[in-house]
Amino acid sequence: MEADLGSAMGIRLYREPPVENPVLIASWPGIGNIGIIAVDTLRGLLRAEEFGEIEPWDFFYPRRVLIRKGVLEYLEFPSSKFFFRKIQAADLIFFVGEEQPTEGGRMYAEGRKAYQMANLVLDVAERFGCRRIYTSGAAVALIHHTMKPRVWAVPNDERLIPEIEGYDNTVLMSGIEGREGQGTITGLNGLLLGVARKRGFEAICLMGEIPVYLQGLPLSYPKASKSVLEVLCRSLGIDVPLDKLDELAESTERRIEEFYQQIPLEIRRQLDRLKHGAYAQPTEPGPITEEEKRRIMEDVEKFFKKGGGKG
Amino acid sequence: MSQEDPIRIRKKHDFTGSFLVIGWRGDLGNLGLAVTDYLNHKLQAEEFAEIDPEGFFSLGGVAVEADVARFPESKFYFAQGHQLTIFQSNPPEAEPYKFLNSVLDVAVHHCQVREIYVVGAMVSFSAHTAPRQLLSVVNFSQMKDVLGQYDLVRDMDYQTSPGERPTLNSFLLWLARRRKIPAVSLWAPIPFYLVATGDHQAEQKVLSFLNERLNLRIELSDLDQKIREQNERLAQARSHSPQIDDFISRLESNLVLSEEENADLIKKIAEFLRKGD
Repeated sequence: MEADLGSAMGIRLYREPPVENPVLIASWPGIGNIGIIAVDTLRGLLRAEEFGEIEPWDFFYPRRVLIRKGVLEYLEFPSSKFFFRKIQAADLIFFVGEEQPTEGGRMYAEGRKAYQMANLVLDVAERFGCRRIYTSGAAVALIHHTMKPRVWAVPNDERLIPEIEGYDNTVLMSGIEGREGQGTITGLNGLLLGVARKRGFEAICLMGEIPVYLQGLPLSYPKASKSVLEVLCRSLGIDVPLDKLDELAESTERRIEEFYQQIPLEIRRQLDRLKHGAYAQPTEPGPITEEEKRRIMEDVEKFFKKGGGKG
Repeated sequence: MSQEDPIRIRKKHDFTGSFLVIGWRGDLGNLGLAVTDYLNHKLQAEEFAEIDPEGFFSLGGVAVEADVARFPESKFYFAQGHQLTIFQSNPPEAEPYKFLNSVLDVAVHHCQVREIYVVGAMVSFSAHTAPRQLLSVVNFSQMKDVLGQYDLVRDMDYQTSPGERPTLNSFLLWLARRRKIPAVSLWAPIPFYLVATGDHQAEQKVLSFLNERLNLRIELSDLDQKIREQNERLAQARSHSPQIDDFISRLESNLVLSEEENADLIKKIAEFLRKGD
């Protein structure tokens, strides 16, 4: 039986999850699918159970039709599902959206539909008394793909900063070279953070770094998903094996390396300099300068404008 | 976006148990427009309602086509005496769910529609001289039996390929099923080299079916004349250009042309037909 949340709200709950003061972890696809792979991996590892969904029709165009013997059998829409899992450390609610609702041909959600979707997710959070929201996505960074990606963490309340400062391999926006605490988180992974603040939820967005030259490729970047998951698990106080992500990262790494070898040698030399980034370990050669960063960005942009990144 | 009801009803008719035919402007070969224009003209259908474009179309300016400024239109017509409602529209650019529901709201609440027929075209890689078919997809299996007596291909299998999306017609059929309205999408294959210019044979195939199924009693012989003229022009194109003739002859022998040859044939036919305008 469906819980009574009101059909007009576009939420269908198949069952009442037995959760108390849970944490909600939400994600949608984005650059490198970093956030969604992290969240969906954790959901799978914890064997979280599905308990509801956001009705898709008002948000999405159908993505698949099946016609059999001249009869339209079904139309499939991107799903936006809720799952739950009770573990010793915390009660968890997962939200996994297969697509971001877009308007006007944009890549990531913005506008009325995005706002509506964010509010529906938070309606469920409110309904079950969630104490915190996590979202997750990608941070496009001047790093090399052979490096371990850091996690950029953005809270929606300054009181969460001391906690974040205690996480390993994590930086606040103020800790990122040249950003001075400023930035934008596009799409629903960011919007949810803001809407959560408006509605009085504390929330943190964890973004795994992806090299700037990989952001336009149709590739997932599971290495960054692993970094996100490490931080998330630490924050939640849970311990899960992440070998699956290592395997995924290894196979992706091979494809990235193939792509990397196709980049003209001159640009590749510039990109190789990113191995010695500003936050590199002291045993490595000195950090690159701002001027060098600017030149790398220009070269990368030129290469992609020529169509070099397609494939 | 405005949350107002986008439906504008201008005139009420006695719609008891009408059929609804839907055609989309700008589909392949402009078939939807051709079929609904033909029905509107022959049956002297009268415009009685429209869907307001706000929220469904980009209204940042106006498109100019064939030297004329165009504006998205979504209009309903009614053919009194035939109990036929005709909906002719540009496909919505946004909010397809809301748009299609508005179409169905008019169909259900104002027109008491009992069956829906939506016109669609598909690209065919056969020659224009090959026998034509009309394919159908229904949203209730019982409708297949109802359509059994007509010259239709009724057992199509199809699944969306990766990277593609279902058509608006499939979306409409699915929504109509949720409202328990039997609906049929008609798919007329159009030879790929006639997609840009239009194909009277495809029009005839669809109109003949609708004429029979909806008992419209329209005299369709003017379409025969148009088809004859189209075939004559294509025959002239073949005798004028040995390459066009070679391409079409190979298609007639069920041979497949390369992508470059396909593109070349499209270009040459379009150029030839345009010259004759």
